[in-house]
Amino acid sequence: MFEQFTDLVPSFFGWINQGPMTLTIFLHTIIVLPMFWIYKQEKARLEQEG
Amino acid sequence: MANKSVWSDNRFWQRSAAWVTGFASVLLIWLTFDTMGQIAIGTDADLQSGVTKRVPGPTVINYKISYEMSTKRGHEVPVIGEKEKFFGRDDYSEEEAGALLHLGKLGSQAKNCMNCHTLLGNGAYYAPDLTKAWLDPAWQDGGTMQAMTGKSTKEEAMAEFLQHPSTYPTHSRMMPNLGITAQEAKGLVAFLKHMSSIDTNGFPRNFGRMQGAVNGK
Amino acid sequence: MANKFTGIGSESKQLATWYFTFAAIIFGAQLLFGLVAAIQYVMPGFLFEVVDFNVARMIHINALVVWMVFAMFGSVYYLLPDETGIETIGIKIGKLLFWIFAAAIVVVVLVYLLVQVGPATETTIWFINEGREYIEAPRWADWGIVVVALGFVANLWLTGMSGKRSGIVTVLMADMIAFAGLYLAGMFFTDNIVMDQYWWWWVIHLWVEATWEVFVGAIAAYGLITMIGASRKVVEMWLWIEVAMLFGSGILGIGHHYFWIGTPEYWWEIGALFSALEPLPLVAMFIHVMYDWGKQQGKQNASGEVVSVINNKPAFLWFWMNAFGNFLGAGIWGFFHTLPQVNLYTHGTQFTSAHGHLAFFGAYATILIGMMYIAVQGKNGIKVLKHTKSSIWAVSMIVGGVMGMTIALTIAGYVQVLVSRAQMGATWAGYFDGQQGVWFAQAMDWRLLMGVITFLGFIFLVKDLLSTGKNPVHER
Repeated sequence: MFEQFTDLVPSFFGWINQGPMTLTIFLHTIIVLPMFWIYKQEKARLEQEG
Repeated sequence: MANKSVWSDNRFWQRSAAWVTGFASVLLIWLTFDTMGQIAIGTDADLQSGVTKRVPGPTVINYKISYEMSTKRGHEVPVIGEKEKFFGRDDYSEEEAGALLHLGKLGSQAKNCMNCHTLLGNGAYYAPDLTKAWLDPAWQDGGTMQAMTGKSTKEEAMAEFLQHPSTYPTHSRMMPNLGITAQEAKGLVAFLKHMSSIDTNGFPRNFGRMQGAVNGK
Repeated sequence: MANKFTGIGSESKQLATWYFTFAAIIFGAQLLFGLVAAIQYVMPGFLFEVVDFNVARMIHINALVVWMVFAMFGSVYYLLPDETGIETIGIKIGKLLFWIFAAAIVVVVLVYLLVQVGPATETTIWFINEGREYIEAPRWADWGIVVVALGFVANLWLTGMSGKRSGIVTVLMADMIAFAGLYLAGMFFTDNIVMDQYWWWWVIHLWVEATWEVFVGAIAAYGLITMIGASRKVVEMWLWIEVAMLFGSGILGIGHHYFWIGTPEYWWEIGALFSALEPLPLVAMFIHVMYDWGKQQGKQNASGEVVSVINNKPAFLWFWMNAFGNFLGAGIWGFFHTLPQVNLYTHGTQFTSAHGHLAFFGAYATILIGMMYIAVQGKNGIKVLKHTKSSIWAVSMIVGGVMGMTIALTIAGYVQVLVSRAQMGATWAGYFDGQQGVWFAQAMDWRLLMGVITFLGFIFLVKDLLSTGKNPVHER
């Protein structure tokens, strides 16, 4: 499942890119996760206003 | 209104949009820095010491290039072999080879190659892809194109064709005469040879391995 | 809406009609040179060494980009007074820049046609053509475009800062500055073809799959408010969701152009899975249009009125075509070949061309034509703009023609993928074997026929845009 590094030049992104969709899942996660924090902040604001 | 859902709140989406856009841009810039280092053009020293670069230095024209299956990479890669004469020489200095590549790249733009051909698969689809044109069987010894021009080497045959394309009709769809001079043709062939040495992650697949396949229609 | 026609004497709207008029002329040029290129596929000797395929195709795609940019500028100048409640600031400079822009385009096209190619020198890159697909404009024109774009962005920003800054205007302000700034990424020369194409895609991809799409989202939002009286709050919420999804998938979706140009392997995964999400916002936009339409019509029906809620029939039809065409052309046809396993064989074939035709048409041409109808309505003070025979013929023939071309090119693409690529390994001989295939040749015949139908539809469109304003059929 986890494969040996095959690309020409080792790099941070190449290193994460060795498992099944690991790189893309990593990038999607760090983009989406902080939205939970935005959600919580906005919820608190709406409750206060309500 | 009490108990208003965050999911239908404009501010939540506005902030999310700002975050996603900003962070995706930052990631793209980071990735760009990483990629820039990997696609920078190599040097003559790299070639002499056998360091493989995605984009080798211009002096790659002094060497034989082939396209071979790599079991490690899982696809074909360009392989730079022993010295090979290019227009009778295999000792182009970094400056000379760089000047030829510069002329060829300028020529590829000035002659608008990309609006009929594809380069690295990008461009128009009216004429064959040029990514690995240098390695095309038609231009090798005994290949149809080389035979047609009556030249004895691949580079001379290509240069001859580029200067007088409509003299050598290969198909009812012909290449027009673009006023390419002998020197420009030499630069363009150097540009094509250099392009064939670029590691394109296995594109085009199976290039040149399917010689003799018939009934392709 | 009370302020809908407040802009009838507005200079900004007048400038918008100039932009739309010039855009329509260039649109015609795009179709004509497209026809020349299509004929050359069928009859290779046509205009050989007079107007070769490379020239016809260059004008075809450059005219495409230019007319869309003109119509986009026009759309912004049109909606600014409505959105901000004030006249566009610096409109005199805006008008001057229009003439500079239009004159520069005419010169560029004449040089393309009459000079065509030059010697392999920097001078050619500066004064004849840059030879890079879509952004062939010579360097002097690049700088001209930068100046004009900066003037346009300044107009937009100054007006947005002084007037009412709605969500739509905020999105446009951010989007247009990125749109103009990205052009700079395509304005340098390098000997390294990989570096060249890496930055070239920053312009092409980040325009058409990011900033232009967001622009369409903003225009669609404006159109829904103007044409069916949709609630601004709901429309703007959707707009922000679309911005998040479009930029979230589109910015890193650029990776699907970095599979095979010499860039590292990690782009396979980034390009595949970010661009695979690119259709989602396009689905959302379609649902959004249908939802708002149904909601507004239902509200009106409930109040006992049975007339349509739409106050501009042709424009709304084009907006609807946009919602559907964007999803179909950009979303479905794009997704077909966005995964690297597929793209290895489809990259650089007519498949791309099929996607290009339907995506540019579905995502951009449709909505910009819709904006032209909104401008006709506003200019003539029409309360309800109705269909005419010409408007129906125009939409049927253009949409039918482009769909027909797309299907034909898709079939041609399959032949190339199977014969030239999979079977023959992409060599010179393999290429021509594919081109000679019966399916390929027939597809090219159909493409030409469908192109002619599209062009005839365009003639109906021009006729309708010019005459419908005076037609007594509309409610005034």
